[in-house]
Amino acid sequence: MALWRKVKAVWWNLSHRRAVEADLDAEIDSYRQMLEDEKIRAGADPVAARREALIEVGGVTQVKESVREVRAGAGMDSVTAELRQSFRGLRRNPTLAVLGVLMLALGMGSSTVVFSVFHAALLRPLPFREMGRLVELSETRLSRGIDQCSFTEANFWDVRAQNRSFEETAAYLYNEANLTGVGEAQKVSASFVTAGFFRTLGVAPVLGRDFTYEDDRNGWENHVVILGHRFWRNHLGADPAVLGKSLRLDDRVYTVVGVLPPGEPWINDQIYMPLGYHAGANRSSWEFGAVARLRPGASRESAGADLERIAAGLAQAYPKDDRGIGFRITPSTSWVATDNTRRALWVLLGAVGFLLLIACLNIANLLLARGTARQREIAVRMALGATRARLVRFVMMESLLLSGFGAALGLALAFGALRAIRVAEIPGVPRLADAGVNPWVLGFAAVVAILTGVFSGIAPALQAPAAGIAGTLREGDRQAGNRRHGRLRAVLVTGEVALSFALLVGAGLLIRSFMQLTSVNLGFHTEHRLVFSVNMPRAYWEKEVGKQFLDRFFERLAGAPDVLAAGAVSNRPVEGGNPGMGIDCAMGSTRRAPWASWRIVTPGYFRAVGLPLLRGRIFDENDRPVWGERGKPDPARRVLISERLAKLLFPNEDAVGRHVALWKSQSNLDAEVVGVVADSRERGPAAAPSLTVYLPYGANALVSEFVLQTRGNPLAAAAAVRSIVASLDPNLPVADMRSFDEVVHRAVAPQQFNALLLAVFSGLALLLATTGIYGVLSYATTRRTPEIALRVALGASAGSILRMTVGQGMRPALVGIALGGVGAWWLSRYMTTLLFGVKPFDHATYAAVAGLLLATALAACYWPGRRAMRTDAAVALRAE
Amino acid sequence: MPPASNTALLQGTLDVLILKALALEPMHGLGISRRIAQVTRDTFLVKPGSLFPALHRMEEAGWISSQWGESENNRRAKYYELTRAGRRRLKEEVDEWSRIVAAMASALELS
Repeated sequence: MALWRKVKAVWWNLSHRRAVEADLDAEIDSYRQMLEDEKIRAGADPVAARREALIEVGGVTQVKESVREVRAGAGMDSVTAELRQSFRGLRRNPTLAVLGVLMLALGMGSSTVVFSVFHAALLRPLPFREMGRLVELSETRLSRGIDQCSFTEANFWDVRAQNRSFEETAAYLYNEANLTGVGEAQKVSASFVTAGFFRTLGVAPVLGRDFTYEDDRNGWENHVVILGHRFWRNHLGADPAVLGKSLRLDDRVYTVVGVLPPGEPWINDQIYMPLGYHAGANRSSWEFGAVARLRPGASRESAGADLERIAAGLAQAYPKDDRGIGFRITPSTSWVATDNTRRALWVLLGAVGFLLLIACLNIANLLLARGTARQREIAVRMALGATRARLVRFVMMESLLLSGFGAALGLALAFGALRAIRVAEIPGVPRLADAGVNPWVLGFAAVVAILTGVFSGIAPALQAPAAGIAGTLREGDRQAGNRRHGRLRAVLVTGEVALSFALLVGAGLLIRSFMQLTSVNLGFHTEHRLVFSVNMPRAYWEKEVGKQFLDRFFERLAGAPDVLAAGAVSNRPVEGGNPGMGIDCAMGSTRRAPWASWRIVTPGYFRAVGLPLLRGRIFDENDRPVWGERGKPDPARRVLISERLAKLLFPNEDAVGRHVALWKSQSNLDAEVVGVVADSRERGPAAAPSLTVYLPYGANALVSEFVLQTRGNPLAAAAAVRSIVASLDPNLPVADMRSFDEVVHRAVAPQQFNALLLAVFSGLALLLATTGIYGVLSYATTRRTPEIALRVALGASAGSILRMTVGQGMRPALVGIALGGVGAWWLSRYMTTLLFGVKPFDHATYAAVAGLLLATALAACYWPGRRAMRTDAAVALRAE
Repeated sequence: MPPASNTALLQGTLDVLILKALALEPMHGLGISRRIAQVTRDTFLVKPGSLFPALHRMEEAGWISSQWGESENNRRAKYYELTRAGRRRLKEEVDEWSRIVAAMASALELS
């Protein structure tokens, strides 16, 4: 009942505001009338009675205000009234409104973009069951300096059989196959997985069945496949009757038994075949990835101890392969983003936080300036009975209104920016395609908007007329108390400058890193070069089929116009995998053998990729693969090595003609070094040049990554390449065709993305800080006009006036620069791992940033200073 | 600052005084004010700044209701009267006050 009455009262008061107010007016007026009547009856003369009655009633507005305060819905009523009032206030002051909304929109837009990228990459969980129990396993050989490597097949089966910590353990082997019979021939990912793989992840097929242990037992010859959801959609048109149908992969027929649910592209854009257990599993080649699901209650620590026990057993049982073996457990949270990506996203999030803070300080500054100008208005409101709380609410409302509009505009900006970012498809920034405006992002924006509104409103809201109501209302009493506000505003500017400094340093460091990264000497040349891969099916490895294909292909390429050189390699530089081996000089030394990358190459590869021969000779047609063919005597093995490797193995002599042991302490193949080539950064610009061994190709050493040097635009040769391949074998797909420049560009795209975003943010920060400095000094100068005029009248030179004002404006900026330097120095350590070729405390960057800020601050101070300098003493003093 | 603060009035005193004043007959604002002054022998002088907020608050609480009428001197005036809820409220308040008065009296006598 009581509640109902209350609701009714609120409704009535709000919907009949005018009637309610008129009623109150009439009531108070009748009170006064009767009071007057009373006094007249008591004998007072009418004029005196009227005055006395008025005095006795007290301030009519105040009485009315206090009635309004107790009315039901008073809060809501006054909020809407204040909102309207703030809105009107902002409209009266469009410069403030537009500036404020723009600043906040930039700040909020930036933070929304970064948060949405951050959310997509780090916060949105993977579609796997109970991620906390899901881990990745890898082998280690700590005694040889290897802290993470793939599993060998035999070791995996042993771990799976002997462990007591995991519910299920599964292995996978990345593999590619040529899909034919569905449109044009194409290369697809077709990984091998053990039967428990999807059970370990916690993913169940939406169609058909999972692999069973029965599938595993049948070994490699079991021709069934499970399709990833995206693969099913893209290649088979999401055919609901796909189960039982067959796919032709590498010229063999596989039966579809299941389809996975939609989810992450890296798991869904491929097909899966059973890995199969086989008895003679290999213990020396590290090829397999392993995942495991911890038993409920088991911790990573206890599982680690369990694996240590298994490692000790393996090391004892298989001393040749498993000496020094250990295992490593990595949580599955690192699957989406590497540590560095994670770090970079945190840095970006911190950066937009700074930017937003600067925007807040700026708004606070603007509102403060206006508040000072509005002291009289505020004093009048207080005199009319506005309580302190209402005044605070009134000012807050304004900053909230600004931040509300800012958030709306910022969201629109973010929406556009995210669309552009998604279209740009920056490789290396995980799940960027999913970054968008979703409920999480909207929630974030709303929270940020409110926080921003409150934060930027605090200082202005708490500034009461310092001189008190009476003092402020008295004419000409303008100066009192303003000095305190001036100081507060200077402090805000100091904060802005300091934050900008930190942002600019971050951006500067990343930009310098990126510049170093793109100017680094790769060893090979990327301009005018086309790369593509031709994946050869298993049949090509029999007899001489693959070799013949390669030779005929190169023959045809040599005849193609615009192709200057052509070659092939087993792993594409920068993007490809990086197989390695232990290598040492043949005279068995006792030291730990260096670990070197190995690549199989055709003789034309070095010219095609622009890697110069330094000494000796390149391979020729007489050089055969280092792996002997079955039933034939071992070949005379010849290899080329990179310069750094040559220096390492043969420090004081020419490596050409010397012998080395390949796969040291495994198969120990003896080979002669016939040449030394220049170093190359096989793993991309950010990694050190590799120690590399080059092996000759042949029938049992096929290569599938091609590099062409072309005349002019490399992509112009694409059509010719495709038609040549199709004429040799229409079932061979040409895949991953790009210009070599693009390959390198993709490798540094994340760094470019980070540097670019941070540069944009710090540019905005600089702009905001500049307006802040300008605003404060401009205001202070205006206020000091009479004083300056007096100085001029007393003979101060224009130069000294300029120096004085600029000096006053520069003080907060200088303090800010000093503080910012310290802060940036302290913060930049968190960026160490993101930097390349630049130290976190890079003097040049710090000096440049300080110089830039000084110059901008000076420019911002110059205009108000010039105005002060030109003060016309006579005019200004007369106005006073 | 808020006008004419009635610190002389104990918290809650004003409500019970108004309810009591209205217990006999409907009255307008000035009448209530005069009645309270009269019955408290001018101890409590209720000013409009306290009276009107209290009246409006109590009306919204449903203890009193109001309607416009003619005053004794042919002035239009807003008359307030007790509702049923108001009478109940008055009784509760009176009981409460008697208890407080008794308690205070004994406390002050003993000390």
